[in-house]
Amino acid sequence: MSKLSQSLIGSAVPRKEDDRLLRGDGRFTDDVQLAHQLEMAVGRCPFPRASIGAVDISAAQKLDGVRHILTGPEVRALSEPMTVLRPVPGAPNLPYYALAQEQALHEGEPVVSVVATSRAVAEDALDLIEIDYEPLTHVSDTLGALADDACVLHPDELDTNLLSSSENRAGNPERHMAEAEVVVEGRFQVNRVSAVAMEGRGIVAVWRPAARELLVYASTQVPHLLRQQLSESLRLDEGCIRVIASDVGGGFGMKLAIYPEDVLAALHAMALRRPVKWIEDRLEYFRASNQAREAVHDYCIGAQNDGRITAITNLYTTDLGSWNSSFGSAQLSSVVFTGPYKVADATVVRRVALTNKTPIGAYRGYGQPEVNFAREVLIDRLARRLGIDPLDIREKNMLRPEDLPWTTPSGAIYDSGDYRRTLHMAAEAVDYPAHRSALRRPREDGCLTGIGLSSFVERTGYASARFLAGRGSRFGAHESVTLRANRSGSIDLYTGVSTFGQGNETAFAQICAHVLGVDYEMIHIHAGDTAASPLNTGAFASRTLIAAAGAIQEAAQILHDKTLRIAASALETAPGDLEISGRVVRLRQDTGRSIALTDIFSRAIIGQGIPDDETPGMEATSHFEPTDATFSFGTAAAVVSVNPDHGEFTVERFVMAHDCGIAVNPQLVEGQVRGGLVQSLGAALMEDLLYDSDTGQLLNGNMMDYFVPSAADVPQIDLMHTETPSPVTTFGVRGVGEVGTIPYAAAVTNALCDALIDFGVELSRLPITPESVWRALESARVARDAMGNKSSVGP
Amino acid sequence: MHAADFLRHRLGLTGTHVGCEQGVCGMCTIILDGAAIKSCLLLAVQLDGAAVQTVESLAKYDQLNSLQEAFKRRHALQCGFCTPGFLMLATSLKEDGRKLSRQEIREEVSGVLCRCTGYESIILAVEDYLNDDSDGVTAPLEIEE
Repeated sequence: MSKLSQSLIGSAVPRKEDDRLLRGDGRFTDDVQLAHQLEMAVGRCPFPRASIGAVDISAAQKLDGVRHILTGPEVRALSEPMTVLRPVPGAPNLPYYALAQEQALHEGEPVVSVVATSRAVAEDALDLIEIDYEPLTHVSDTLGALADDACVLHPDELDTNLLSSSENRAGNPERHMAEAEVVVEGRFQVNRVSAVAMEGRGIVAVWRPAARELLVYASTQVPHLLRQQLSESLRLDEGCIRVIASDVGGGFGMKLAIYPEDVLAALHAMALRRPVKWIEDRLEYFRASNQAREAVHDYCIGAQNDGRITAITNLYTTDLGSWNSSFGSAQLSSVVFTGPYKVADATVVRRVALTNKTPIGAYRGYGQPEVNFAREVLIDRLARRLGIDPLDIREKNMLRPEDLPWTTPSGAIYDSGDYRRTLHMAAEAVDYPAHRSALRRPREDGCLTGIGLSSFVERTGYASARFLAGRGSRFGAHESVTLRANRSGSIDLYTGVSTFGQGNETAFAQICAHVLGVDYEMIHIHAGDTAASPLNTGAFASRTLIAAAGAIQEAAQILHDKTLRIAASALETAPGDLEISGRVVRLRQDTGRSIALTDIFSRAIIGQGIPDDETPGMEATSHFEPTDATFSFGTAAAVVSVNPDHGEFTVERFVMAHDCGIAVNPQLVEGQVRGGLVQSLGAALMEDLLYDSDTGQLLNGNMMDYFVPSAADVPQIDLMHTETPSPVTTFGVRGVGEVGTIPYAAAVTNALCDALIDFGVELSRLPITPESVWRALESARVARDAMGNKSSVGP
Repeated sequence: MHAADFLRHRLGLTGTHVGCEQGVCGMCTIILDGAAIKSCLLLAVQLDGAAVQTVESLAKYDQLNSLQEAFKRRHALQCGFCTPGFLMLATSLKEDGRKLSRQEIREEVSGVLCRCTGYESIILAVEDYLNDDSDGVTAPLEIEE
């Protein structure tokens, strides 16, 4: 390998993806336009729960341009309920059809679908369809759904709205909690948010009956898993289905697995023998695409007076919505609930509740931001109670490098890293000691300033297929790749991982070029086509590179070795004397003697001029499964200013020190972290899907009323890295896709509580807004007044 | 029919994207008679007789222009769905000719949303481009705070 190619790992090379995207030449789903294409529109239940009576489509059928209409009974006859990739272990699957049957259980659930010559005609037809809805009692509150008198969503499968309850525990948390010198507890409410990928979902389905081929263009993170689920729902052999995800306009977990519209478009296409396109509009998106996060965490910490944490209990209820989404609900809170701290006696209980809202699915972080908010905010309360600095209490309890590998109370294994180093780096970057020693008084603008810390770990990747099997997952832990050499000397890399912004094409090419020793420019990436890639898992759970690096390395090594063998016979030398450098194979000791890769690859492809014992071809496929998950980690620090009269606040600085292992491309890493941070800024401070408590209807399901952060909303963010190679992955990489989403909310909340420490303000509900800060100030004022202690605190 | 659908589905210029159809997300930003505008809020007929620039107009043959190069250098795009909107907005800022501070750029580009990048790299790329007076020639790489 040449020095140049070796330096490819860790290099910020230009992205493979950029040129087409910068020129408007990406191919997103709505860019696919096929001859004789028709368009689909979906009629959706306007109520949170309703029984569906007669559906009269007669007027719609007569509308000019309408080609086909599907209703619930037809869908039931033609297809199977959608399967769940990651069902809740021990709980019923709650399978559902692509169109509602007797009842619809959330606003936006598909009830009828129309295909017409245009979307406009299809939507006009929907207006002509008369559906007898009978609105039914509903429940939208997470904990309210578990009350004794709550209406039960799935009475045939369940007696209550509790889908499942599961515990992870170690040691004796009850005894240690009872013996603790101080106990703090709190209830933390995490808001329901939405990924809001800038491209919504979409699909184009094409059926060629005589060829028995269903071709699907879809905006998905998991082409091969979508193919599997389409096969299961449509009763089609997998070999009849080809899924292509060319460019995907953001995923974030929301585009994981099958949705009703995928089944519907395929059923229409199969009935009509014409291409059918469905592009989700933004109003549909807010009601029909999986939502995220909503949970209530009851978190309790027991400690000694010196600040040492001795016990943790965490009971949380995660709101699933009305059905099991086709991927499954967030589970990772249970894995990382103790965070980066050395606590041996701890228990976490996860309850999954059903409500009449859009299903909750995977979203960047998948449980980790939620529990991090609860734990890190409560640790600051513990620090305040004990009069210990929040930095000191974290340092005292943090796992040290010599403690690792560490098996957490939930059974996960933290592999390696210096957690305290990131804590110190973050504190230093915001000049923590200076802030601590400064006098607590308002600035000239009337604002108080505060500083907050938030430490975290991120579980990245999956331990193994065996690990996943134990949790009921219907997908593997591996990635796969096929490499194929061309006569021109270039290499085709085929992967089932679709491209939705993560930079996979670039990172894959870097690794491939690095191992082979060829130029980065000579790698062509072909991504996201199930007909042109080996079966794989897909891009989610910060897992892609952890698994794919191993597959690319193995396949590239096979090509590398075969190339050297053929070159050795041509140059009449031994393979060990040779190296690939750029576009030639040359002698290490006599670099002027070389043979072009075009020559070697041409020989191999036609099987001429190769050693007698070589088979023709220059192609390799590899599957790689990591042995373990690996944990990224870090600490964030926020500086805020807040007006104690009306609660208006500004995040003035935000820093984060983190470790994502060896960075294959530092620019991609930085992009992932920054993007995640700003998404979590939105979830922490701006975004909140609001359901009316009486009508159960979504109040702010459009871009005007749901506040996605814009450039003007983002404060200065400074990132720092440490780079601890993971001992359990190829090249020592760790996942990085979700790390940014985890620490933001707690860091800002802790900074606000620090700024308002003299007012006794506590914040426990996301999002944190000026109004919620003002309300907290008011309730703290009321509490102080009630205690008749007006003189000691406050202005 | 709104202008974005017309550009995309009648003219085949699919570089202009559609994200919300209510003028919030900015995916569909084009330049109409020199001014950046959200084409989902325009009727197709309003393009009649106007000078329209879309993302497809920026590169010359295989050569990215200096704005596109700046985006590439700064890693100012990930999934690329919002990118045409930012590129057209930045192009209109350049044509406007005003000198903008980084904070002003931050405010100016807030009419287009991005869910991937966290914006910092976009702001730096636009700043590079606005400060590059060489008109089409790529500015040398400068790393700055």
